[in-house]
Amino acid sequence: MSLRRRLTLSLFAILLLFSINVGTHFWGSFARNQSMVAYRNTVNAAQLSTEVEQLLLEQRQRILVLSTLRGTTDDDLDTVELSQAEREIETIITRIRSLGDLSHDVTQLHYQRLWDSASTMLNDWLTYYRNYNDPSVEQDVEDPAVFLEVSQLLEELEQRQAFVALQRAKIIDRTIALTDRITVIGFIASILLTGTLGFFLIRYTNASLKRLKTGTQRIGSGDLNYRIKDMDDKGELGELADAFNDMSDKLRNAINEVRRAKDSADDANAAKSMFLANVSHELRTPLNAIIGYSEMLHDELADPREVDRPQFRQDLDKIILSGRQLLGLIDDILDLSKIETGKMELHAELFKPGEVIRELCDSLVPVVNRQDNQLEVEGLDGLPNMFSDAQKFRQILTNLLSNASKFTESGRIRLSARTLEEPRGWLEFSVSDTGIGMDADQQKRVFEAFIQAEDSTSANYGGTGLGLAICKEFCELMGGHISVESEPGVGSTFTVAVPADPGSGHAAA
Amino acid sequence: MSSPLILLVEDNELNRDMLTRRLVRAGYRVEPAGDGEQALTRMRELNPDLVLMDMNLPVMDGWSACRAARAEESLASIPIIALTAHAMESDRKVAMEAGCDDYATKPIDFPGLLVKIQKLTDAA
Repeated sequence: MSLRRRLTLSLFAILLLFSINVGTHFWGSFARNQSMVAYRNTVNAAQLSTEVEQLLLEQRQRILVLSTLRGTTDDDLDTVELSQAEREIETIITRIRSLGDLSHDVTQLHYQRLWDSASTMLNDWLTYYRNYNDPSVEQDVEDPAVFLEVSQLLEELEQRQAFVALQRAKIIDRTIALTDRITVIGFIASILLTGTLGFFLIRYTNASLKRLKTGTQRIGSGDLNYRIKDMDDKGELGELADAFNDMSDKLRNAINEVRRAKDSADDANAAKSMFLANVSHELRTPLNAIIGYSEMLHDELADPREVDRPQFRQDLDKIILSGRQLLGLIDDILDLSKIETGKMELHAELFKPGEVIRELCDSLVPVVNRQDNQLEVEGLDGLPNMFSDAQKFRQILTNLLSNASKFTESGRIRLSARTLEEPRGWLEFSVSDTGIGMDADQQKRVFEAFIQAEDSTSANYGGTGLGLAICKEFCELMGGHISVESEPGVGSTFTVAVPADPGSGHAAA
Repeated sequence: MSSPLILLVEDNELNRDMLTRRLVRAGYRVEPAGDGEQALTRMRELNPDLVLMDMNLPVMDGWSACRAARAEESLASIPIIALTAHAMESDRKVAMEAGCDDYATKPIDFPGLLVKIQKLTDAA
């Protein structure tokens, strides 16, 4: 659960409990109020009843006295006395009405009966007063039964009201007790809930924060494989942990990339050092012959014996051959350095590829024959003219044929040319041999500069390992490409595909 | 007393021819070998007074041949001078570790080489 949701829920739970508490508090207050009102009503009613009883008793006493007087004397009631009596009866009626106001559903019946009896009796009394001065009217107000009935009813009402009030008070007391209990329980529950929620919130958040802290410290100290795991919090803190994990992933990738870049730079550097060592080695081999023969000839000239002229000439040829070899080597190195610095340019001219191939094959006869190899050339007829760099074209095929001759002994070297159907306007030249061949790994690296199939190859076959790198660069410069197929012990086939005219639209194909 | 016999192990034809002729002129007897394995066979056959050994050889390279010779009792005492176009100081160290007695860098300083040969053949 997310931190936000957890906090919101906690807040709602606490608010809910708080509302319940407030509600029960109001309910309790209301009940107390009710209780108070009921109590007051009961007290009032009791008071009123007593008062009414008292008044009724007084009034009856007076009427009994008057009744006795009426029989014995002829004193009339004057108007003042009459109106006073009327007022008194009126007061009693008002009081009884007030009693009615204080009665409720349960006591209504009792009150009604009291009211009926009392009002009849009071009316009789009023009539008695009014007709007191008229002796012709016979009046009987002395019957104690009516008065007793009213007194009885009054007492019953009073008791009833007291009883009902007591009942209600009991109910209300129970309600008060209940609300008090609810309030206390709610209050304790609020405290417990707040405490518990707070505790878990702090604990989970703390645990998550601790994991985050440990994680960031570990990642910060360079342990990029460390993952912040087992986060209890799947929300904000979990997301934060995920973000940290992401960050360390990316950081590690970046560092790996830098490491790889450094490694590849180191490799390139090592390859260059190796290349320099090889170049130095290769330059020293022909130089050794040149210097050695020259010094030897020098010594021979100083010898008083006659110089063997044919031998002398042969030795000079060897010096020249070594010098040429040295020059070729230097040219290769320069070519490659030009390519590497992007200064190699294409000098396009119109030429017939078939003628160029024939020429170079003628000049390579000694190289091919050196290890008793046979050269076969096919497909030269019908080749279209090329408008490209003839010099580079010649160099590519010369390199491939010399390589094939170098790595093949008493075998067959075949150069075949053809026009390609697709892409249109392209020519393909392949040089295959029956030589030592290469495994898949060597094939992959064979076009890399400064690399021969393996270091020992350099010892066995010589060369700087520049020829094929130069071929590849030249092919690409001419808008084409070179590929190799080979099997160890069976032979190799190098295939060059180039557009006849790199400037035409077909070159892009 | 016949002149000292030198076994020249060198795969490059021109260099072998040149060195052979110069050594012969200097008064040594010279026998050629084209690779490391051949060198060991010839050493057993001829028991030469000294071996001049190129290090970059086909079949078996000079360092391996050197180590093999040092491991073989009958050949262990034959002095070997390494000839190499590897001009780094580390290459010299490798050659000495392989058991060569001395080391000469191509292009060869011939008078210097003669001094080294003299020293080793005299000592033997």
